[in-house]
Amino acid sequence: MLDTMETLCCLDGVSGSEDEVRDYILERAMPFADEIRTDPMGNLMIFKKGAAVPSRRVMLCAHMDEVGLMVTGITDEGYLHFDACGGIDRRVLIGKRVFVGAMRTKGVVGSKAIHLTTAEQRKTLPKLSDMYIDIGAPDKTAAEALVSLGDTVAFDDAVIRFGDGFIKTKAIDDRVGCATMLELIESQLPCDCWFAFTVQEEVGCRGAMIAARSIEPETALILETTTAADIPGVEGAARVCCLGQGVVIPFMDKGTIYDKTLYATLGRLAEENNIPWQTKTRIAGGTDAGAVQRSGRGVQVAALSVPVRNIHSSASVAKISECEDQYRLARLFLQEMTK
Amino acid sequence: MDLIELTKQLCSLPGPSGFEEAVFDWTAEYLRPIADEIHTDSLGNLLAIKRCGQPDAKLVMLDAHLDEIGFIVTGAQDGFLTFDMLGGVDHRMLPAREVRVLSDPSLFGVIDTMPPHLLEADEAGKTIPADKLFIDVGLTQEEALKAAPPGTPIVYASGCDELCAGQLCGKALDDRACAAIIIKAFETLANKPLNVDLGCQLSTQEEVGRRGAAVGAWNAAPDIALVVDVTHAKTPDGKEALTEGRKGAAIGVGPNLNRAVTRDLFRIAEEHGITHQTEPLPGDSGTNAAAIQISRQGVATGLVSLPLKYMHTPVETVWTEDMTAIEELLIAYVEEVEV
Repeated sequence: MLDTMETLCCLDGVSGSEDEVRDYILERAMPFADEIRTDPMGNLMIFKKGAAVPSRRVMLCAHMDEVGLMVTGITDEGYLHFDACGGIDRRVLIGKRVFVGAMRTKGVVGSKAIHLTTAEQRKTLPKLSDMYIDIGAPDKTAAEALVSLGDTVAFDDAVIRFGDGFIKTKAIDDRVGCATMLELIESQLPCDCWFAFTVQEEVGCRGAMIAARSIEPETALILETTTAADIPGVEGAARVCCLGQGVVIPFMDKGTIYDKTLYATLGRLAEENNIPWQTKTRIAGGTDAGAVQRSGRGVQVAALSVPVRNIHSSASVAKISECEDQYRLARLFLQEMTK
Repeated sequence: MDLIELTKQLCSLPGPSGFEEAVFDWTAEYLRPIADEIHTDSLGNLLAIKRCGQPDAKLVMLDAHLDEIGFIVTGAQDGFLTFDMLGGVDHRMLPAREVRVLSDPSLFGVIDTMPPHLLEADEAGKTIPADKLFIDVGLTQEEALKAAPPGTPIVYASGCDELCAGQLCGKALDDRACAAIIIKAFETLANKPLNVDLGCQLSTQEEVGRRGAAVGAWNAAPDIALVVDVTHAKTPDGKEALTEGRKGAAIGVGPNLNRAVTRDLFRIAEEHGITHQTEPLPGDSGTNAAAIQISRQGVATGLVSLPLKYMHTPVETVWTEDMTAIEELLIAYVEEVEV
């Protein structure tokens, strides 16, 4: 599970350019799949038979895409203008290493040295439109040989395990969900299940909407990550959730009021199996659940989210045991669907 | 080891101001077989000397600082390390930043940041004050304080490597790129007949107020000093910088620098066709030259600077052709100087 997740996190798949991630998943899942579907959006849908037929048609869902940037301009001096692909807090951008385009050209997000700034400039961050990527190209022609307008830009990909069972990586949102699904596909399942690896979650859950129409599930479990603000100075409910206190089972976020029965079922399964769990203490963020819930005739939805610090950045931090617990709970959920 | 490899090697070693042992120990071993004498002092400066064999020879000393900006642990809160700066850190760059805590064994850490949805309206787009940032080492309060007690130094986790088109990018190129230049120049000159004794000083604590060089210059007592440091290169948002990349060695001109030495630098650069540019410095040069010039009875001091983008960040960037130009200029100067 951990190896699969680390491998997936190192692949680049900014929204709309998920090919590398999809190719990897497809290659591994192919020998285990009973049916494989793709669609014009780029979603990958895999059906696998299990030991039993579930009481309801069930779909697990995780998104393949990650937040990143897109090249919007090349200056005469060979620097790149960019905009965000997905929700990126510009406070985590300056001075970061990135890879541009399919050729993975190395670059850094530049900003003039602090010595050259005024006291007022030091208090505010440059706007995205005033930042630029430096790929070391001496001029526009040299830059154009390496990158094109519309190229996506991904964060540096080093995965590091540290502290007492923690991991730092880019794109854990949502490669952890992809890893959980891939590991399930490669195992014996308690019941038949559809797996939707979706595109474009970070730009508005656009892939999941289409995948759900294709699969037409009655019940869907979204495997995701969620923001954690458990740092000093943030107290109580504002922390949203805390690393080390278990997988998050949300009752509500900005996009979805989750199915109450499934919420209770997941909590009970966790407790019966001594898997720590928590819920979100602030109505924030959203998942593919919103798109899935309102597709077709309507779908009963739930989510299992791994708490992540610095979630939309190159240095996202998660607790490894909680990634593994997402897998364990998802498997227990499928077992429950046979009842 | 060529100039580029040496630069990368030096940048990979930790050495924040006041805690430079690792990088100095390595450098001393590198210089030992080349030099006639190796000296150190109470501030940790390193001075390698090559004697020309002539009685009463004058001493020409090259200087570059080997310390880098960094951080220091001041305590822990809920298991997260609190910290202060060693030198002029650009704190706009800190959120979601990866660091190496120099405990024994060292710890990987991430500077965690508050998720954007928890910010007050007037905080969005503002720089986060350093006292609201914490280093996540994935440990409990007790473990964190034991592993990294107050006083433990910290550096950026990255090293340095190539961008495209002959540029190096990474942490500590200020001033390890120049340290590599003077070491390579010293190595070349050590095999040539000279009319002067040659010193190669690697100094400490420049980033906290050129404290090392003040003591180092006193102990070395040079007749002429050539300080080699980085300076700001122009960037798209920093056109006010006085030098440009790929325009060669930036020779400093101003009251901080000796007129005769400066004149010789220009003359020799022109005679040898070495690419160079002028950096006007009306006051304090902001380099070790300011400390060395007023050592003992005054030292005839020159300054050659390497254009660098994004100073005091983990993505400092230099052009290798500028490094080579400076190396050539130093070699030619020492060979030809008449004292």
